[in-house]
Amino acid sequence: MISLENLTYHIKGKHLLESVSLAFEKGKMHIILGPNGAGKSTLIRLISGELKPSAGTIRYNDMPLHGISVKEQALFRAVLSQNLEVSFPLRVHEVVLMGRYPHFVGSPRAIDHEICEKSIHLFDLDELKNRNYLTLSGGEKQRVQFARVFAQIWEPIDGKPRVLLLDEPLTFLDLYYQYHLMKTIKTFMASNPDLTVIGVVHDIIIAAKFADQVVLMHQSKTFAQGPTHAVLNPENIHTVFKIMVEDQFIVK
Amino acid sequence: MKNSTLLLLISLVASSCGRFGNTDEKTDSQERIVCISKQYAEIIYALGAQKEVVAVDLSSTYPPEIKALPTIGYHRALSTETILAMKPSLILHDNNIGPEHVVTQLKELQIPMKTFGNYTPTIAGTDSLIREMGHYFGKEKQADSLCVKLHKEAQEAFAHSKHYTQTPKVLIIHFGRASNIYLVMTKNSTAAKLIEWAGGEMAVDAEKGMKQLSPEVVAAANPDIILLTDFGYDRLNDGKEIDKLPGISSTKAYKNNQIYRIEEHDLVYTGPRTGENVLRIQELIHPDETH
Amino acid sequence: MKPINNRITGLALLALLLCTALLSAKLGAVPISLQEIKNAFMHLINGNEIIELNERIFLQIRLPRVLMGIFVGAALAVGGVLTQALFRNPIVEPGLIGTSSGAAFGAALYFVLGATFGSNWGEWTLPIAACIGGTVATVMVLFLAQSKNDHRRGVASLLLSGIAINALFLSGVGFLSYIARDPQARSITFWNLGTLSGSYWEALYIVLSVTSICIWFSLRLAKQLNALMLGEQEAQLLGINIPQLKLMVLCLNVIMVAVSTAFVGVIGFVGLIVPHFLRMIQGADNRFLLWGGALLGAWVLTASDLLARLLLAPAELPIGIVTSLIGVPVFIILLKRTNYLF
Repeated sequence: MISLENLTYHIKGKHLLESVSLAFEKGKMHIILGPNGAGKSTLIRLISGELKPSAGTIRYNDMPLHGISVKEQALFRAVLSQNLEVSFPLRVHEVVLMGRYPHFVGSPRAIDHEICEKSIHLFDLDELKNRNYLTLSGGEKQRVQFARVFAQIWEPIDGKPRVLLLDEPLTFLDLYYQYHLMKTIKTFMASNPDLTVIGVVHDIIIAAKFADQVVLMHQSKTFAQGPTHAVLNPENIHTVFKIMVEDQFIVK
Repeated sequence: MKNSTLLLLISLVASSCGRFGNTDEKTDSQERIVCISKQYAEIIYALGAQKEVVAVDLSSTYPPEIKALPTIGYHRALSTETILAMKPSLILHDNNIGPEHVVTQLKELQIPMKTFGNYTPTIAGTDSLIREMGHYFGKEKQADSLCVKLHKEAQEAFAHSKHYTQTPKVLIIHFGRASNIYLVMTKNSTAAKLIEWAGGEMAVDAEKGMKQLSPEVVAAANPDIILLTDFGYDRLNDGKEIDKLPGISSTKAYKNNQIYRIEEHDLVYTGPRTGENVLRIQELIHPDETH
Repeated sequence: MKPINNRITGLALLALLLCTALLSAKLGAVPISLQEIKNAFMHLINGNEIIELNERIFLQIRLPRVLMGIFVGAALAVGGVLTQALFRNPIVEPGLIGTSSGAAFGAALYFVLGATFGSNWGEWTLPIAACIGGTVATVMVLFLAQSKNDHRRGVASLLLSGIAINALFLSGVGFLSYIARDPQARSITFWNLGTLSGSYWEALYIVLSVTSICIWFSLRLAKQLNALMLGEQEAQLLGINIPQLKLMVLCLNVIMVAVSTAFVGVIGFVGLIVPHFLRMIQGADNRFLLWGGALLGAWVLTASDLLARLLLAPAELPIGIVTSLIGVPVFIILLKRTNYLF
């Protein structure tokens, strides 16, 4: 379980996040929704340790995040950021192998290669394995990055909850792959019950369809949180997004 | 700065290629001497001991037939392998060679190297050097007659100088062979001695023997006479473009049209022809008072 | 296109290097035969006094020179791989971020004023002076180039700062050669153009040991440098301690390049084109680039030195001229390519 206590972040007098307290249960998919500038990405970047909070604490299983070394964090926590570019020509399988870097010293072991193969297969990249990453389309690149972060947290780590953080991961993908990928994640979660997924998406419909829990952000604060069907009601959506929804979302 | 140095070096190496290509026709039975000193080289030829010399440095240009020999490059930018390619059994040098690592390498390879005595650039000192070299090459008789000639001509020149009523200020502009920059020679150079003997006075004073040419140095010196060494004179379109050098056109020498060419090898070291050279300089700097 | 196996490329490079090194040992102003090389080694093993001049030339001049070329080439190329990976930019090389010119200045300062400092660590004094100079210049460039977050501007200001600091330190070298007494000045000007001709065994031992140790350490950083290609943030998320990595890479780079520069002078373009070329044929995986670059760099410098000795034989060109003549056109061709394809 990941818990946030009074998490606050401000930079140059701008309050990007104010006193957010949340708990993310293990084995669930949490989706953070909110209009632009509501503080979604800031929240993800705080949880990943990329930003240091101005106040408040983040705990992974009761361990404060700042007490875990960067190296150790990488063993059980993977992050998929927006707009990833690679500065030099690398082959797809080399990019995916990076996900295993935290797990081996020196040369990759057989198990590392095996996991990469599986992850490449999972994201339907077998054909592209030897391609130059720089020559891929935006969507293909995004799938490669998915394969990389999944390779990173492919296996359970003793005594550590696996966490996957996604910051708008569906941006470059067409509709088919958006749904396909979300399904893939759900399937993976089913067989890996210790994995917690926390993601930021733009699309309310995707959130409604796949999230177990939703956090609704508004003006740097949490507006509502809880099970998807409870949070995504017309009143909340109207307050936060300024749009009227005529029908209740159909939540499976 | 670095690029221009590179360019200069390329042009230097390229221009010296001609002499690199010269072939040597010495047989293996004799001594094979590489001579890296223009002063030694001239004396060796004057002594008639040149048949064992297989190569000289780039600045050894007298007598003219020396140019038929292969060269090993500029004496301060030597390369070990270039020297070794001449298969030397002896290297003669006057301690004015570089870079240091080449000297070290030659020593480590135990290539015999010899330097003759370090004499002052005076008539007496030159006499001693010629005699030492004559002894070394077994040409004592030739050495003796060279010295006699040297003394006779020097005395003649000194006698002239006593009668001169004026001491013209002479500026000598030298065009260095290694880096194509103009230098002026100062009162601390061998050339200054020759000018002094010829009854003139150097226009520029400095700690070192050479000073880089600054237009201000030239204008302030306001020389009566300007001598240009051959390399630079020829480069300036046979001296016709001398006024392109800044500072020159305001000098007395330029106004009176007293700018002359002089061979570098007549001026920068002493040797058997020094007396003769001083007499020639007298003709240049005392045009009205020489007979 | 199916990728060529890294091992095969490596073996091909090694074979090429060995052939060129052998050729380089034989050819030059003084040609040396295989028999003479063999005899020289036999004499060396048997501990006999070596009589033949050519054998002595081989052992005391040619061999240290060829080996020096190999290790300096490897050091420069690996330095190039390290800096390019660190700055995530393919047009950075040790010469551009001030390391070489700073090292040249440090070494020149020791040449001219060494006696005044009174400090002396024997053969190591010169490389240590070069390292100090290289560090000062590199730190100055990095300090000047600091900008807020913007990666693009970061690279531009890095290159501009590099130009400024290089100009400063090269003028410094020029100034030193101007005030130097004669014999020292001769060393500075000659060595500033870059040449392997002054190689001797003691210098080789220093370059050899420093280069080998630094390359060994660099190889251990390959994985982390790969991760850096995703950006500093991403690399950190993969568990990499970024400040520590940067410090190590800069130290390795400065030490390797400065020590080489101390003994052979400033040699440009090797650190730039070698990683470039390898990346084009094999991709950017640093796990290969580092040792492949060492081999290719060694070959490039050995071949350049051979050319420097043969083009105007028996005269000799400074090797910096040869590497620039080869490097500049290659660099321009590479610059015209907008994307890496392989």
